[in-house]
Amino acid sequence: MSTVTLTIDGREVTVPEGTSLLHAAEEIGVEVPHYCYHPALSAPAQCRLCLVDVEGAPKPMPSCVTQAQDGQVVRTDEGLAREMRKGVLEFYLVNHPLDCPICDQSGECKLQDYVHSEGRAHGRGVEPKRVFGRDDFGGDVLFYGDRCVMCTRCVRFMEEMAQDPVLTVVERGDRAVIDTFFEQGLKDSPWSGNIVDICPVGALVSKDFLHKARAWDLDHTPSVCPNCSQGCNVDLHTRDNVVHRLKPRENPEVNGHWMCDYGRGHYEWMNRSDRIEEPFVRGDGGWSAPGWHGALASLRERFEDRRGPVHAVASAHASNEDLGAFRELVERLGGQGVVYRSRRAADEAPLPGSPVLARRRDLAPNTRGAELLGMRRVGSDDARGGLDEVAASTGTLIVLGDELTDQPEDFGSRAELFVYLGTHPAPAARSAHFVLPVTTFAEQEGTFTNVQTRVQRFEPALRGAGNAQPAWQVLGALTASLAGEPAPASAAESFSRLAARVPEYEGLDYDQLGAQGVPANRPAAIAGER
Amino acid sequence: MAISVKVIRRPEAARSSYLRAALKGMSLTFRHMVNPRKVTRSYPEEPTELHPRWRGTHRMEVHADGRPKCVACGLCPTVCPANCIRLVGGEDDQGNRYPIVYEIDEFRCIFCGMCQEVCPVEAIHVGQHFENAEYTRERFVYDLDRLMEQEHPVTALWDPSDPASE
Repeated sequence: MSTVTLTIDGREVTVPEGTSLLHAAEEIGVEVPHYCYHPALSAPAQCRLCLVDVEGAPKPMPSCVTQAQDGQVVRTDEGLAREMRKGVLEFYLVNHPLDCPICDQSGECKLQDYVHSEGRAHGRGVEPKRVFGRDDFGGDVLFYGDRCVMCTRCVRFMEEMAQDPVLTVVERGDRAVIDTFFEQGLKDSPWSGNIVDICPVGALVSKDFLHKARAWDLDHTPSVCPNCSQGCNVDLHTRDNVVHRLKPRENPEVNGHWMCDYGRGHYEWMNRSDRIEEPFVRGDGGWSAPGWHGALASLRERFEDRRGPVHAVASAHASNEDLGAFRELVERLGGQGVVYRSRRAADEAPLPGSPVLARRRDLAPNTRGAELLGMRRVGSDDARGGLDEVAASTGTLIVLGDELTDQPEDFGSRAELFVYLGTHPAPAARSAHFVLPVTTFAEQEGTFTNVQTRVQRFEPALRGAGNAQPAWQVLGALTASLAGEPAPASAAESFSRLAARVPEYEGLDYDQLGAQGVPANRPAAIAGER
Repeated sequence: MAISVKVIRRPEAARSSYLRAALKGMSLTFRHMVNPRKVTRSYPEEPTELHPRWRGTHRMEVHADGRPKCVACGLCPTVCPANCIRLVGGEDDQGNRYPIVYEIDEFRCIFCGMCQEVCPVEAIHVGQHFENAEYTRERFVYDLDRLMEQEHPVTALWDPSDPASE
């Protein structure tokens, strides 16, 4: 590919031919302020904020659509360019209310940032601002018309990515406003939450998040969306050990800049406070809480005296490390196979404008990981039933993560040894001899394998509940004590044990998975390819 | 080395007597008995005058209809160096943002006045007030109702006629 060399703010930069000035400036770390331009959408060059001064050009050029040329001299940060931006920003503030104190976007607002860094200190406007009030757009989206800067990113997202053009600009001039068609709104769109993300100001806000927290109070933890097997890269936004929202994190291979409303909306379970917080052991005298050392020591004794077959139920919400450690333990005990249940939607919901992104049928993050480990899916599409053989077990029964919500209270009562590892108390685990608390994915680090067989890391965002420990640690310690080996000390170590045993993960290194994940070795045959 | 003796004379009676000093002290005392310039105040019968920039316990301003002026913007808990403000925002039935929970722990507060300085709607103020005695520690966590009930004058953080101290 041929390249061009140009000078931006006195620094030379070489970029491929056809690159826009905005991206060329990005190469040398110069951010040209912009609203209407979004890397995944078309560029109408209408916000007039990315104007830069190009030597020889008769007038300022919008950098988002101007292609870099050889020998061009561009100034983004002085003289004319700066004066122009200052002027454009002043025009924006003619009608934009100064309601930052009550605006949810405050703290992550581009208008706030730009005006603060290079706008006028005091407005000169004396005329009253126009008032639109707010409008319910349906779904999770609320529209504050006064705050809109008419970048039309939302209109273009619905047109180009969702390909469901339900938003449009009505009226002209200062009466122009974004609106939906009649009462239809956005309520049928499964991707509408993205327009809240791409809105550079507080015009489109999430109803769910409204007034909940300030942007600067939230901690961002890179993670993976746990609500379907697409495994969109997300940030968990937390404050005071509570997840407040999920925001997509860019990954061109998986989700681009987007995520679906289903994934975005299902986070409350991470904040559930009805948790198992201590390891419990049921003896002749009822339940006792002997602590982890006591519980694992007596469980190990029970494992050594076990009789009968071993049945195991896992969950596709567990990480690769958890499932790997689970399979290792089950194999060590002489078990034949592990089953799991997982909810499946009736169909996929693809994002039409994206080549890869869809809300997948499997509504659990790690079904592919479970498949690669040879686990067998049982039960119906709403994750019920399918455990008759397991429930009738008279030998050893181990359940990891499945809440057994559809099972009767005497589930596993015929088993000689019933071990339940879970996050939340399960009424059907009443007959368990050991109830061991494990952490949710939001409280531990690890990896998921998504539908594209891509291994992606997530980081802990919350503190674990009580004495709950990651499942890989509990299971790894049990297996290790049975085998007389050292237990895995970290998720990375647990993953490398997995990589040594599963050909698809061979050669993968936990520390090199990075923020965007790495494709696993393509399996020869995946059970139930879809 | 020979030992020498230093003889110290006993001071004369006029100087060594304590009577002189006692009389001097008593004369001051009697002078003050008749002097009209009094320094001691009869607190609490006579209330203390506080300086305009005295920063005491907080007070929340209210609108004419009784709603708190606070819009739950979250700046005061952000700026508070003692981390003594707890705020949970919400929306009332007229669509206004307002504080569902607004609590100030006056024991943790260091009375720096930054909450008043940062408030964009002039809702929270530190006040010219110091009489805060309570019987329990819990009573020192002022909730929204309590802050709105306070009636003491608020602190002037700067001279309104010369805000930039020029």
